[in-house]
Amino acid sequence: MTMSSTLNIQNLTVSLRSGLPLLRQVNLTLEPGEVRALVGESGAGKSMIGKAVLGTLPPATRVTHGQIFLRGQALDHLNAAQRRHCVAQSAALIPQDPLTALNPVRRIAPQITDPLTRIHGWSAERAQTRALELLHRVEIRDPARVMRSYPHELSGGMRQRILIAAAFAPSPPLIVADEPTTALDVTVQKQILKLIRELQKEVGTAVLFVTHDMGVVAKISQKVSVLFQGRVMEDSTTEAIFSNPTHPYTRALIAATPSYADPARSFSPVPPELIAQMKSKIAQEEIW
Amino acid sequence: MAAPLICPQTAPAPALFSVRGLRLSFPDTAHKPLFAPAPRIEVLKGLDLDLPRGQITGIVGESGSGKSTLGRVLVRLLRPDAGQVLLNGQDIATLDEAALRPLRRNLQMIFQDPMSSLNPRHKIWRIVAAPLARYANDTSTRSGSAARRDQALRALERVGLDPSFGERYPHELSGGQRQRVGIARAIALEPEFILADEIVSGLDVSSQAQVLSLLKSLAQEMNLTIAFISHDLSVIRHLCDNVIVLNRGEILENGPVEQVFAAPQSEITRLLLDAIPLPELDDKWFD
Repeated sequence: MTMSSTLNIQNLTVSLRSGLPLLRQVNLTLEPGEVRALVGESGAGKSMIGKAVLGTLPPATRVTHGQIFLRGQALDHLNAAQRRHCVAQSAALIPQDPLTALNPVRRIAPQITDPLTRIHGWSAERAQTRALELLHRVEIRDPARVMRSYPHELSGGMRQRILIAAAFAPSPPLIVADEPTTALDVTVQKQILKLIRELQKEVGTAVLFVTHDMGVVAKISQKVSVLFQGRVMEDSTTEAIFSNPTHPYTRALIAATPSYADPARSFSPVPPELIAQMKSKIAQEEIW
Repeated sequence: MAAPLICPQTAPAPALFSVRGLRLSFPDTAHKPLFAPAPRIEVLKGLDLDLPRGQITGIVGESGSGKSTLGRVLVRLLRPDAGQVLLNGQDIATLDEAALRPLRRNLQMIFQDPMSSLNPRHKIWRIVAAPLARYANDTSTRSGSAARRDQALRALERVGLDPSFGERYPHELSGGQRQRVGIARAIALEPEFILADEIVSGLDVSSQAQVLSLLKSLAQEMNLTIAFISHDLSVIRHLCDNVIVLNRGEILENGPVEQVFAAPQSEITRLLLDAIPLPELDDKWFD
């Protein structure tokens, strides 16, 4: 481990109260300014990693093993208040569903500026200026009007841009993006991905990018963790994943993605034999 | 060399749906003056299209292009302002609900979000049997109900779900399994036409591949005519026979998929194609 890593997760195991593990011995690092994609099928535990880092795990789950270092600080050595403060200072979330993530009875302005004034201690003016700057940056045409609007007055694509602006506003070292484009159509998705990429480069933020779309992985990330049932099956650079995937599961996920450019290749679901094989392997390792 | 007079293989399949001059508008309530009717927004601006029998036609476009509205007119959940909607030669555009009722069993839907379109308090077999009960004569007798239950279980088998799933509830199923239940319900009445509106956009890639290959094989087995609404041209390229590209209520392209994908005529189609992130490395994609 280098002390300069933005995020370092070691042997993280998260389990339900019943003992059923949702994450199994997950290891990953995220360097400053890097985008790492967490990819896998539904239920693979990819969102769970982001939640474990941000401290927003569901009440029925708990960290049973392992450590998370955020900018060199071991989070499990902190008490709840210190932990909240540390995470709020260094990390932000771009949530999946822009329709439910904003408070419907508050105007947009305080929803962007509140974290800046209350967590980062900025003056109201500075927060206001930064919010306008970021809204302009995410190509919202009339930022001053949008700041006074309520969420229901804005389209889904607009709201997702606002959430991106809010996440990047304090220039945090880490952003967790939890499927930020699955609710959007393809043309809006491309704009949003482009924005995340540009802002991430400008601000130097490291991004943990949760997605199930191998196409999105190929375009946005430099590193990839492929997850299956809470276990990292392959951890590699994006380049290696697409030019030379070593794990059969990674190959199966790529093969399951349709491509208009290659209609002759029939895309097929992950073979059940492969899933059974991986499950039995995980079960065997669990016994030891 | 004399050309053959009639070749049944190459004769164009008669269309199940023929739509001519279809117009539809909605009131713009956000701009309604206090004492005057709201101005109307044109959503479909005079569409002409055919859905060939036994084929899958993809309908694609950006948000707000009118693709879902078009689908809802085809199954007559919406009544158009003007134009003809010919189903097997009969104009259904202006029929009232009583006249539509016998036609409805032929027009089924699969919905986008299987969680909210399946009743959480009903067992799976009851959900699939609901449309059967709707068109049954003997809703009161026990034998009729048992027969429908068997029919529902057979429909579940056709979509690759074991009959034991009949006794479960929707929350016990995965997303892909729920969407199969949605398909089972749509095919239970053996309809001619199915409207599938964004049915795989909530699924992960592997479940998506499963649901699509299932839909394709069912369409062939049952000679279904399907309108498949999606914003993902990769999915449409693999699944559909024809594609219609909509933009702001107008048709930009309409033809066999090979043709439209080989030589897209409009800028919008090219934009939609470029926006799809393909699973391959490409440094210049964002430029």
